[in-house]
Amino acid sequence: MIGALVVKDMKLFFRNRFFAVVTVLGLVAYLIIYFLMPSQVDESLGMAFFLENPESSSLYEALTDEPDAYVFDSEAEMLTAMEETNDFFVGLSIPEESAAAIAKGEEVTLNAYYAPGVPAEAKQIFHDVLVMIANAANPEMLANFDRFQETEIVLGNDMSRAPLSMRDRFVPLLLMAIVIMEVFGLATLLTRDVENGTARALITGPLRLHQFFIAKVLIGMILAFGQLLILITIMGRLGTAPLLLLTTSLLGGFLMVGTAFLIAAISKDNMSVLAWGVVSFILYFIPGLSIMLPGLSTGWMEVIPSFFFVDSLHRILNFEAGWADVNRNLAMLFALGIGTLAIGSAVLRRRF
Amino acid sequence: MTQPAISVKDLSYSYGDNLAVDGIAFDVAAGEVIGFLGPNGAGKSTVVKILTGQLTPLKGTAVLLGLDIVKERKQVQHQIGISFEDTNLYEQMSAVENLDLFAKLYKVENFDAMSLLEKVGLAGREKERVASYSKGMKQRLMVARAMVSDPKMLFLDEPTDGLDPVSTQTIHALIRGATQRGTTVFLTTHDMVEADKLSNRVAFINQGKIVALDTPARLKQRFGLRALKVEVELPHGETAIREVTLDEEQTAQAVFDLFRNERIVTVHSEEATLEDIFFDITGRGLQG
Repeated sequence: MIGALVVKDMKLFFRNRFFAVVTVLGLVAYLIIYFLMPSQVDESLGMAFFLENPESSSLYEALTDEPDAYVFDSEAEMLTAMEETNDFFVGLSIPEESAAAIAKGEEVTLNAYYAPGVPAEAKQIFHDVLVMIANAANPEMLANFDRFQETEIVLGNDMSRAPLSMRDRFVPLLLMAIVIMEVFGLATLLTRDVENGTARALITGPLRLHQFFIAKVLIGMILAFGQLLILITIMGRLGTAPLLLLTTSLLGGFLMVGTAFLIAAISKDNMSVLAWGVVSFILYFIPGLSIMLPGLSTGWMEVIPSFFFVDSLHRILNFEAGWADVNRNLAMLFALGIGTLAIGSAVLRRRF
Repeated sequence: MTQPAISVKDLSYSYGDNLAVDGIAFDVAAGEVIGFLGPNGAGKSTVVKILTGQLTPLKGTAVLLGLDIVKERKQVQHQIGISFEDTNLYEQMSAVENLDLFAKLYKVENFDAMSLLEKVGLAGREKERVASYSKGMKQRLMVARAMVSDPKMLFLDEPTDGLDPVSTQTIHALIRGATQRGTTVFLTTHDMVEADKLSNRVAFINQGKIVALDTPARLKQRFGLRALKVEVELPHGETAIREVTLDEEQTAQAVFDLFRNERIVTVHSEEATLEDIFFDITGRGLQG
């Protein structure tokens, strides 16, 4: 009986043009966005230099050793390159007498041309790099730094060596976005069954109420989990702790099913499903956004149910987290899924 | 004595303070068509909802096919078919898909949707989505759906309300076919002609109580006043109506006198309708 209902709901879901189009286009669009996003972090800070008479300057070798530095043949060429490209955030012109003074360790004043909007931190970085280059050109001064040595200890993953790309940060939000669309679909199926009286026709036959609800949970899980699985597979992320990832996806899908039940319970028709769906869409989106834009993250975000889903995905996919790292999140996802499902079905059964 | 198909005793139900069904009791024999007549809000649909397990009675018992509807609800529901007052079909599915779904739920083996659709006159349009059907077609499909499992008992709640004559006739033929196969039919309607034509017995329900329950013929005999209406020609070419009440001692003499003394133009017999009787008993009409 449950199988027959699942098949029926699948037909009805894909016969609704809106949901069919949104589901298929959503999958394709999200994948396109994913693959268009930069997969690597560009942390280079291009610096332009003009060095007068480079052959006679000890600075030239030090500058060419610096990977982000580019030495131009003339000051005009340097300034043109700065204006026409966004490759350089600063340009420095070093006349021959200034280069000689630097080599001697004397104090000099130079004109530094900055691109508009360069922050103070970047200007400080450039100053430090300049000091390092000057030191490299003057080995006697460099000897003073050799007295200091340090051992690096990084707490957690050293993200400076493998910083998260925008694409990596986007994945939890993207997976969240695809499953939340199914909240609309399942809530609509439920609301229609209740409001059109078809649910009443079903349960006044041999079908029991709990079988009706189980069928709805199954269709919701198939739609949500199925799409998560497709996306994760195409993105090539399934290799990262597959069992943990699938468990998280299942529990995330379960939370969405519970949310759909809750929305259906308080909705009278398709319009109210849409209205409540948009509210939950915005709310559930916030934790995913805070991963893309870490500055937004605040403590209260943990009261949003979707936090436990996107945070788990973020940790598993981007930080190679294990079961012990996300078990609290998974337990919360399960509890929230059960809670929303119980409240939603309790309210819905009173409306049959 | 054979066990009644439906046995109701002291059944009551209320919506808050509003007592919708007030201690009703009746039996329905197997294979019988019982018509439940009453105006809107009289309690007809509430009785159907109780008997089909959609509502739990406040008090009293209802035993269908030997099973208590409260204690053995699912067993009862497995053996009955219901056509609801409001259309509740899956409109984005075809007629065949609607029937096949319910056949699977009732675990009907070798179900032939087409033969049922032919009976309700929907063959040829069986693959169209129900959303494109007219009200009459949807109602016919509702009745067909109620018959998917060839149930022992059919509940038809206002099955022909607002339908065209063709759809009404099709549904009437289906009901007659079902009763010929021994199916008990519980028909609620406020169409007295329909109840008169189809029902073995009719029950008048008013304000939650059964105020009369008998065969249509006996109800008419008991409560109705039969009469002859005779149109006669007057001396100057005008006509007048003479009415002779039947079933009275002096009826024969009155008819004899009329035919001997007057020039007869037309003669009509007139009998009370169920609506007349309902009005006589309750003081209100069936449409109210």
